[in-house]
Amino acid sequence: MNQLTRRVRALALLAGLALLATLAGALSRPPAARSQGADVLLNVLATGAKKLNIVIPNFTVMTGNDTGGLARSMPQVTGRDLTFSSLFSVVTDVPPVAANDPGALKAAFANFASAGAHVGLQGLMSVRGDRTEVEMRLYDLTSPDFRLISSKKIELPSTQARRIAHKIADEVVLQFTGEAGVADTKIAYVSAASGNKELQMMDYDGAGVTRVTSNSSINLSPVWSPDSRSLAFTSYMRGYPYLYRLFPFENRPVQVLAGFLGINTSPAFSPDGRLVAMTLSRDGNPEVYVLNLATGAFRRLTTYSGIDTEPTWSPTGREIAFVSERAGGAPQIFVMDAEGANVRRLTQSGFNTQPRWSPKGDAIVYTSRQGNFDLWAIGPDGSNLRRMTAGPGNNESASWAPNGRHLVFQSNRLGSYQLFTMLADGSEQQPLTRGPGESTSAAWSPRLP
Amino acid sequence: MAHRGSALLAVPVLVLSLFLVGCPKRPATTAASAPPPTAPPAAAAPSTTPSMTPSMAAPATAAPSTTPPMPSEFMANDNLKDIHFDFDKYDIRGGDAKILDANATWLKTNDNLVLIEGHCDERGTSEYNLALGERRAKSTMNYLVAQGVQAARITIISYGKERPLCTEHTEDCWAKNRRAHFLVKAR
Repeated sequence: MNQLTRRVRALALLAGLALLATLAGALSRPPAARSQGADVLLNVLATGAKKLNIVIPNFTVMTGNDTGGLARSMPQVTGRDLTFSSLFSVVTDVPPVAANDPGALKAAFANFASAGAHVGLQGLMSVRGDRTEVEMRLYDLTSPDFRLISSKKIELPSTQARRIAHKIADEVVLQFTGEAGVADTKIAYVSAASGNKELQMMDYDGAGVTRVTSNSSINLSPVWSPDSRSLAFTSYMRGYPYLYRLFPFENRPVQVLAGFLGINTSPAFSPDGRLVAMTLSRDGNPEVYVLNLATGAFRRLTTYSGIDTEPTWSPTGREIAFVSERAGGAPQIFVMDAEGANVRRLTQSGFNTQPRWSPKGDAIVYTSRQGNFDLWAIGPDGSNLRRMTAGPGNNESASWAPNGRHLVFQSNRLGSYQLFTMLADGSEQQPLTRGPGESTSAAWSPRLP
Repeated sequence: MAHRGSALLAVPVLVLSLFLVGCPKRPATTAASAPPPTAPPAAAAPSTTPSMTPSMAAPATAAPSTTPPMPSEFMANDNLKDIHFDFDKYDIRGGDAKILDANATWLKTNDNLVLIEGHCDERGTSEYNLALGERRAKSTMNYLVAQGVQAARITIISYGKERPLCTEHTEDCWAKNRRAHFLVKAR
């Protein structure tokens, strides 16, 4: 590197730092920046376009060595996240635009804009030791001066570079919709690949599969705590179906949540994380209970002498939907308040189980058996009943993404049970896992801290 | 945020050695699990029945309050025949009642512990079937107790649809899987 280049780089660094200083406020998202992004989206959609066209050039390496090719791979990950959000049409694998050279930047953006791009996302990458940092800059290419919408720095160990790319995508979605995306999330699920049903988890896009249990018994029904630090699940690891909680990111021993005679199943954390609803048959038949994690006290909510099971909380924590056969005949979905009073029936016909309340509160997805299993959704007031899956095979066991815009579910439409995703309206159904070994019982995590 | 991120390791294997028995491979985890967790007090360990709070409903019916033997300690016995159930039902049908009568007779002259398994076919969803299997085992137990078999000898366990006898998608296979199965263990 010669003297001139060094000087240019030093100047670029200084300029970058100055920019950072002035943009420090932008990191806390002042209202002006957010509304600008939303305005761009609205304006583009008003023209009849269905999506925002975004160009994500390869990132620019500012400091350090990019031995892993992250400057090229990270924009791909971000691009796929934005495609998955269904809000963007994405172009990637484009040479990096000049960092801190306004003239070259403008020329590149003018090119993109004339090709139809509405948004440009630039990433300035620095590798220092075992940590990687990306400063993302989001530009409005529909404005004549290609105005900067927002800028943010994200820094993590280099082993978690994919998370940086996901967090960038989530920030982009936040800038345009007012709510962060869901790319930095995990999906926990049951895998039969080892011959036994064990818990595994992976990034929401299928990368980074890790084993969570390895006890060679039957492990079922994982659910995330709202702080995303723990999973509750049912396991036969001690012979009988008990409820446990484990901490997949911490070296902590597993806890027994409930180990009564009979079944201890169907865990569901309340939205504030203080309570766990569950099914216990300790009183003679399966009933819905709530465990207070702080006090260890159990409170029974249902009293019907037949099956009551599968509780799911409303996002307010004030209501619980559940499955009961109290109507006689096939199981149906009911709703009660969080103390167990005011029980009302929600579904009318079919064999209905596995209710899951949307984080948005306006829909409950459930599995209905009318021949095969299919996913349906209904409003909490019983309105807006709609079918979400159809076609050959079974579709079951849906779980909502934390923004309520996507679902993961299991389907055997291609042979064995694998996980699929879809949008909240049932569209864009696509496979997530491929096997070998069946994957079932998926649970979408909250956004990772 | 960066510090929180460092706790979220991308290290591939997070094998949890939870309970020291049967998991001798991971002494490091064993050491970590020795002290009780500092997190909020966990609910009951399986060896004790936790006390109920005043907000609980009526206390449990007469049932063993100590930890039952492990299912793996029980063995099948040709003298105890399976019974079967209608779809989504757990009541005892006439023909099956006769089988249970014979089972009860044998049990009253052979003083073993009994484990009753409840099973389901694949046409219910996973969680619901755990409850349905539980009801089937319970109905079976209630019938035997009514025939004079001591309740304290009997433990029930539901496997839902997790341990099917067959996996074909046929009425014949489904009927086989909707069953209560008996295992015994010497006292």
